[in-house]
Amino acid sequence: MAHVRAQADLWDELLAPDGTPRPAARELIDQLAALEHSELQERQTLAELNILTMGITFTVYSDGRGIDRAWPFDIIPRVIAASEWRRVEAGLTQRLRAVNMFIDDLYHEQRIVADGVFPADLLEHSKNFRPECVGASPVHGVWAHISGSDLVRDADGTMYVLEDNLRVPSGVSYVLENRAISKRVFADLFAKQSILPVDSYTDELNRMLVSIAPDGISNPTIAVLTPGIFNSAYFEHSFLAQRLGAVLVEGADLVVADDDCVYMRTISGLERVHVIYRRIDDAFLDPEVFRPDSVLGVPGLMRSWKAGKVAIANAPGAGVADDKVVYAWVPDIIRYYLGEEPLIANVPTYRCHYPDERQYVIDHIDELVVKPANESGGYGLLIGDRATRSELDAHIALIEADPRNWVAQPILSLSTVPTLCDGEIEPRHVDLRPFILSGATSYVTAGGLTRVALRKGSLVVNSSQGGGSKDTWIVEDE
Amino acid sequence: MLLSRVADNLYWGARYLERAEDTARLVRSYTELVIDLPTSALSTWEPLLAVAGSSDAFQQQHADAPVGELPIVRHLVADQHHPGSITSSVAFARENLRTTREIIPREAWQTVNDLSLYVGSNAASGVERRSRARFLGHLIGECQQLDGVLTTVMNRDDAYELWRLGQSIERADMTTRVVGVRAAALLAAEQQVGADGSMTDIHDDVQWMGLLRSVSALQMYQRATRGPIDGRAAVRFLLLDPMFPRSVASCATRIREALGRLPRSKRTLPVVDELERVLQASAAVGEDGASLDRAMEDVQVALAAVNDVVHEAFVRSSV
Repeated sequence: MAHVRAQADLWDELLAPDGTPRPAARELIDQLAALEHSELQERQTLAELNILTMGITFTVYSDGRGIDRAWPFDIIPRVIAASEWRRVEAGLTQRLRAVNMFIDDLYHEQRIVADGVFPADLLEHSKNFRPECVGASPVHGVWAHISGSDLVRDADGTMYVLEDNLRVPSGVSYVLENRAISKRVFADLFAKQSILPVDSYTDELNRMLVSIAPDGISNPTIAVLTPGIFNSAYFEHSFLAQRLGAVLVEGADLVVADDDCVYMRTISGLERVHVIYRRIDDAFLDPEVFRPDSVLGVPGLMRSWKAGKVAIANAPGAGVADDKVVYAWVPDIIRYYLGEEPLIANVPTYRCHYPDERQYVIDHIDELVVKPANESGGYGLLIGDRATRSELDAHIALIEADPRNWVAQPILSLSTVPTLCDGEIEPRHVDLRPFILSGATSYVTAGGLTRVALRKGSLVVNSSQGGGSKDTWIVEDE
Repeated sequence: MLLSRVADNLYWGARYLERAEDTARLVRSYTELVIDLPTSALSTWEPLLAVAGSSDAFQQQHADAPVGELPIVRHLVADQHHPGSITSSVAFARENLRTTREIIPREAWQTVNDLSLYVGSNAASGVERRSRARFLGHLIGECQQLDGVLTTVMNRDDAYELWRLGQSIERADMTTRVVGVRAAALLAAEQQVGADGSMTDIHDDVQWMGLLRSVSALQMYQRATRGPIDGRAAVRFLLLDPMFPRSVASCATRIREALGRLPRSKRTLPVVDELERVLQASAAVGEDGASLDRAMEDVQVALAAVNDVVHEAFVRSSV
């Protein structure tokens, strides 16, 4: 029989410290315990076969060539009690409401800067602030229509927001596909308990996109703009277009005519597009305004957007709120615009911009993760307890030279979920990316994408670096 | 509403898959034919290259190698560097159809994906004689399954018509080449026999059966004619029979239907008129192998004109 265990000093999502199942995970753990190893392995193989024939893939790059890989999936789901999830949902809704007000403010009066809550010089140095967007007024004042916030749980069980992805967050298609597979693998469990469905996401996405159409058009033509088949998330772009009943377009399929409207090239000639769900970065959107060498974008697209002839989700410029410095201010942003306390915490973040916080970072640098504010992909990142003294000193010098560019956070121990590894069930670290839709109303996915670091001890959950995924079950517990 | 780019991908996806299936039928029937005949009567596999339109490509890659069964079959079935091989055709089809996943039914994409996985890992087994029939049969079966999915669950919209269009043009092209290369050669050989009065047995009935089988036409031919196999009747059947779905005339009818339902038909239909005119003219060339070969070249030119007008009307015109 399968033996399920956790690691003593870490928080496990399915098991309490004494090794008994957490209440919401009881049915699942009982089921796992009743299965022989070989049966469990059989179900895993069945799932992998499904993934292969359904063509659920992501693209990795090797030797300059894109290779289509099967999506790595572990059949043991992560379980969250619905009572806890409702608090997370409320917290994410609150967070995105405030963040959208913040973005809208930055591109208009900048009250938050005038009131001294957000430092002016941070804005001046922001790479993602787009002067071209100043004065633009997207429908409902919403800029970040589709966002994905990464949540992690520390050893004491507290759930934190680790970062907000407000530009082109990906992964939601895998939430839906993972569910389709786990329903086949654990059909009996879905009958025994109430697991919240995830399938309504694409309907909600459709409703949201319709709600932002220009001139109140009630049946707009919606297009999903993809960089093309070589993008690692192409599978998702295609999947979403399909579920939305939208047209999947590449930049070259679109043209902005003299009337400032956007059209697509069809076999019957040009046809108007009203809403674009874009999956390419700001910098590539419009070669007339941003990078002139972009072949992914559409010349004139910004002109059309500013004239209100087309809606773009996420709005150009929304990325201004998607960097590590702004992240550190989100709790203040929530208090400033909503007059409320944040419902989900940020990971405590020390902003070297402020002398007292900077001093704390310097004094405790060996207990912290130090991150440069405007770099991504881990560049310049220092993990204090794994660094030598001279590396620590070198980083202190960097911080003192340009304090504004640095933030630091305590080193978290990500929670674990039992995971099938070479026939054994072992605890592996996970995070969680729920997706939040903001338009006329807002919506949060029931759960989200649980990413798992398949290598023992690893905290890296990216699929390109040995990470996998799990289905996420929100189980009704009341 | 159909994007020009996607229309192009659907059209070519259909062509490549049809090409893979037709090549499989061709190789399978030729193998059966060779097994049927005494070794003296048919010692060469080169006609297979000629029908597949791959003679030049093969010679470039195999300048010094012996021209035997295995190199030729490998070239047509499993050679990744030969763009006309089954392996390449399936890979191209998948690449084209990957960008049409939101258009074609999900089951259809799964079939294409399955097929591509199958060919990717089993193509080598299609070379050896003992496993060849199984591999080719499986591949033809998957193509048929795909056709079944599209026929039974896909909306009869522009995307569907483009699919049928690509499929019919490719199918007509293959039937034309079978007639142009092999029927013409058989007719020429028969004339030769008649002229010098020799009694060399060229097993022409077996050869004609093999030819019909290469486009899966044998059984239907026999049902339609109810008599012994006659070369001229077989050619007429393959070119003009309105009941047989792989005849060039049937393909032309489906090309006409598809273009008639797609936009810009005023511009596109005249090339189908021309195709049908050339096809009718080819039936009148009579019994001489060389002129049949030339007539098939004319039909191919007319098919190429259809291909060009499709590109011009649906892809280039919106640029």
